[in-house]
Amino acid sequence: MEQIIDDSTIEACQRGDSDAFRLLFERYKDRVYSIALCFFDGNEAIARDVTQDVFVKLLTSISQFQNRSEFSTWLYRLVTNTCLDRKRTFKRLLSFGTREIEIPDQRRSVEEKYIQRELEASVRKVIAGMKPRLRITVLLKYFEDLSYEEIAAALGCSKGTVASRLNRAHQILARKLSHHV
Amino acid sequence: MFRTHITRHLSAYHHGELSPDEKRRVEGHLRECARCRRANDEIRRGARLASSLSLSEAPEATWNDLLKLRSASSRPSRRQWIPQAVFAGLAAAAVIVIVGIFSWNSFWRSPSWEVTGLPGTPRLRAGQVLETDSSSTAQVKVANIGQITVDPNTRIRLLVTRSNEHRIALDRGRLEASTWAPPRLFIVETPSAAAVDLGCKYTLEVERDGGSLLHVTLGLVALEREGRETIVPAGAFCRTRAGAGPGTPFFEDSSDRFQSALRDLDSGAGGPERTRQLEIVLREARVRDALSLWHLLPRLNPESRGLIYERLAQLLPPPSGVTRDGIVALDPAMLDAWKKVVSQLWQ
Repeated sequence: MEQIIDDSTIEACQRGDSDAFRLLFERYKDRVYSIALCFFDGNEAIARDVTQDVFVKLLTSISQFQNRSEFSTWLYRLVTNTCLDRKRTFKRLLSFGTREIEIPDQRRSVEEKYIQRELEASVRKVIAGMKPRLRITVLLKYFEDLSYEEIAAALGCSKGTVASRLNRAHQILARKLSHHV
Repeated sequence: MFRTHITRHLSAYHHGELSPDEKRRVEGHLRECARCRRANDEIRRGARLASSLSLSEAPEATWNDLLKLRSASSRPSRRQWIPQAVFAGLAAAAVIVIVGIFSWNSFWRSPSWEVTGLPGTPRLRAGQVLETDSSSTAQVKVANIGQITVDPNTRIRLLVTRSNEHRIALDRGRLEASTWAPPRLFIVETPSAAAVDLGCKYTLEVERDGGSLLHVTLGLVALEREGRETIVPAGAFCRTRAGAGPGTPFFEDSSDRFQSALRDLDSGAGGPERTRQLEIVLREARVRDALSLWHLLPRLNPESRGLIYERLAQLLPPPSGVTRDGIVALDPAMLDAWKKVVSQLWQ
């Protein structure tokens, strides 16, 4: 069940309430981890490091927040910068290649799940090959369902830039995976 | 209906991000244009594929790892503040002395930053100076929002550290800053401008004449002085000059001739020399160098602004409503509208 994060949770985190921070962590951990996992082409170790890094930064500086409305923007900016920074640091160690990813989903039949898993693995592979800023824009849109305005705020760019990046990403996906559609 | 093709609006159309009027015009165009209909089908296929992404569960151990990391990161500062040997030998006396200091002198209770790399300087407090010699470097934790590496032969002063502002002065030398704070919380003052963090990583060097050189490697930095602001994005440099403030930012991959001519313009070249250097800048400018051209507009005279307008309009056509006369007259709304177009290049 999705946890509800409201002003009082953020304020409790700012007062150092560890239960509130746990709530915040539970609410966002899978999203942060999923973005990092896809950004680094399924590398679970890096995704886990990035997730920890983001929450350590969050934990140590959440007291600086003045109001609730900036929170998700700041969180996704943290995720974006941490991914981009980590990519720069470990650029030579990354392999954009053949890793298979387990996609948990208990709603579908075995066959449907297999097809879905294959399709999703292909999509992730194409996304992993996109330029980093294109990649993070797609991930914020499709993992977080953020509006263009929210993505623009998180990435520090304009809505027009978000629109053109998503256009480009959609074209790349459609062309590289034309056999899937 | 849009008279030109509408492919660039198609993802926004698919995601319901267009205004009712824009949506109506896109739909009108799609009815008439087979090419855009094909493009729309492609965007929809791409969006459907992207929609197949699903969340992965973070490993169960992540929370415990996080607690360990937090606990580990909080221990070293305590160890540095009270050396183990001293604590072991003089425990009772130390407690009395420390309690005494805490009671008598609020200075020791003021917020401080952890310093590593310099013997004898474990914490840095507001009003204190940190100085490295030719063979030393230091790492400083900027409260809980980032860190800086202080290079050799560098002097910094901590001016303010509180929840809504962290400000240092870089008197000389070079530092590398990396922050994860909300924008505008961390500021580095130099003799010629203030570098305001907008969520980023950068190096800043103060030269002997009081000028400085900023190089942004991630995110954005604003250089400010007396109400004048220069935005420096990742991959760009900006020089500042004592008494003159921020210069014109430029991308690191712009041509040498472009950078050299820009430097001459920033240094206040006048008359025929200014015209000659401006010609070089305009001739060498690529689309990406619109960053520099836009920032040059308010810095030169009306005649030069007219020339910049012509070149900038070739590289990146201005949005509707932005006119040559308005730009030459430095109309704030028109400058801002064009900046939004230009800024897409580096975002």
